Amino acid sequence: MRQMEDRAAQDLREKLKLVIDPELMVNIVDLGLVYRIAYLEESRRIELDISLTTRACPLGALIVADVQHIAEEANPGWRVDVQIVWDPPWTPELMSEAAREALGRA
Amino acid sequence: MQQVASQYAPSPEVVVPFFGAGSLFYLAGCLMIGLYPDLFVGHYFSPGLLAITHLLVLGWVTMIIMGALSQLIPVILERPLHAEVWMRPVFLCLLLGTLLLAGSFWHFYLGTAMWLASVLLLVAAVLFAVNVFLTARRAEAGGIARDFILSAVVWLLFTVLIGVTLALNLRFAFLPVDHLELLKLHAHAGLVGWVMQLIIGVGSRLLPMFFLVHDPPLRSLQPAWYLLNPGLLLAIIGLWTAQPALVLSGALSLLAGIGIFLRFAVLCYRRRLKKRLDPGMRQTALAFALLVIPPALLIPLLTGGRLPASEENAIVGYGSAIIIGFFSALILGQSYKTLPFIVWLAKYRARIGRSRRVFPGDLYSTPLAHAQMWSFAAGFALLMAGIFLVKSSIVRIGGLGLSLSAICYVVNIFTIIFHKVKDEADGG
Repeated sequence: MRQMEDRAAQDLREKLKLVIDPELMVNIVDLGLVYRIAYLEESRRIELDISLTTRACPLGALIVADVQHIAEEANPGWRVDVQIVWDPPWTPELMSEAAREALGRA
Repeated sequence: MQQVASQYAPSPEVVVPFFGAGSLFYLAGCLMIGLYPDLFVGHYFSPGLLAITHLLVLGWVTMIIMGALSQLIPVILERPLHAEVWMRPVFLCLLLGTLLLAGSFWHFYLGTAMWLASVLLLVAAVLFAVNVFLTARRAEAGGIARDFILSAVVWLLFTVLIGVTLALNLRFAFLPVDHLELLKLHAHAGLVGWVMQLIIGVGSRLLPMFFLVHDPPLRSLQPAWYLLNPGLLLAIIGLWTAQPALVLSGALSLLAGIGIFLRFAVLCYRRRLKKRLDPGMRQTALAFALLVIPPALLIPLLTGGRLPASEENAIVGYGSAIIIGFFSALILGQSYKTLPFIVWLAKYRARIGRSRRVFPGDLYSTPLAHAQMWSFAAGFALLMAGIFLVKSSIVRIGGLGLSLSAICYVVNIFTIIFHKVKDEADGG
């Protein structure tokens, strides 16, 4: 059961790569903004913790709505709760190599 | 879901008229430089130069700032604007007031039109200021950006009131102070108190966000607020009481404050994670490079040091370096970071979850934005060369270069404004 949950979370993480930060033109997974995906089998609930690169990010609501929609579409019959979390704060170390490449090298 | 800044974004109808009108005022100002270059090689106190200056400072700089602020204040203060609907009369009063004031200066007609212009501009400033203060009243967010924005708005009110007083004094000459000194006072209250402080406040948020700077050195900006505001007050008292030592002390304080902000901008640029810059941020970087010119001219102007031209020409060069150089370059760049976003958000927000193929950067022509930057750089360099060499023919060519940049800008701004939603089937 645990393995199935992990695979589902992994699949959803992959699908969330469709959510692009329009300012940086990098998806939120590679930016390291998806902190936690938890499938709660008993309550058929998915908890998603995401963050933003800055508190003043004017795209927050849009990103949350996109994540919510993709998660619901991928998991019919499941309730999806998306939370923006600031602790721990986002740091550049969370970015993938692909994101660094997309943002350009010095 | 937690509260996030974009929930408070105003509708594009609030912001768009400011950008549309502002871009046309910029084009008009640049065309006038090309058409009337002699104005830039003469004395700074001339009706034509006063008309062009007010056209650019009110119609272009203030117009775009007020539009952009109605978009950015909700982001910075994490609250919706107190009254979005007030921005419509603000826009109309600013538009008509600018046209009437510039026309009055051009014909040096100090009668009814100038009075009406003064009243309209005062109404615009008061409505805008009250809106900002009422929005900020209950806002807990904002930090240093909030402090700079609020003090900038106070200086805007002061500038407009002094402007009205100057208009009265031009006609009735009742003030015991030299009118040219009052003009300097009015200009610096507006340029430094209103525009520069606003740039610092908004820049403290936008530069780290657009450059993607982790943990920006925001605390380093706090002393700038304490240097700029008392410094400006000191310089104004010095100008009013004709005490050069006070003016110099105030100016040094201002320069130190601006220097702190320049250092902040350079640090953000160096620490940026987003190495590949888009056209908007490239032009922004150019603007900051141009920011070193005004202080380089102000110091010899105040200390009687060596100038590359006569004092009158150097003052025209100083004002041009601020308004046509730094302010314009910054607005030209930042327009691509603000307007496309709000138009895009309004038109594509509904496509939640669907893979979007159109992004804010697709709403305008990138080659045109590059052409705008290079023609601006060439036009501005020639304008400054013409001013300091006292050659109106060079100023004219500079004006043509700037006009070309303005045409590119206007085309892009209206392309963004009239963007039609592209369907997925179009392939973006």
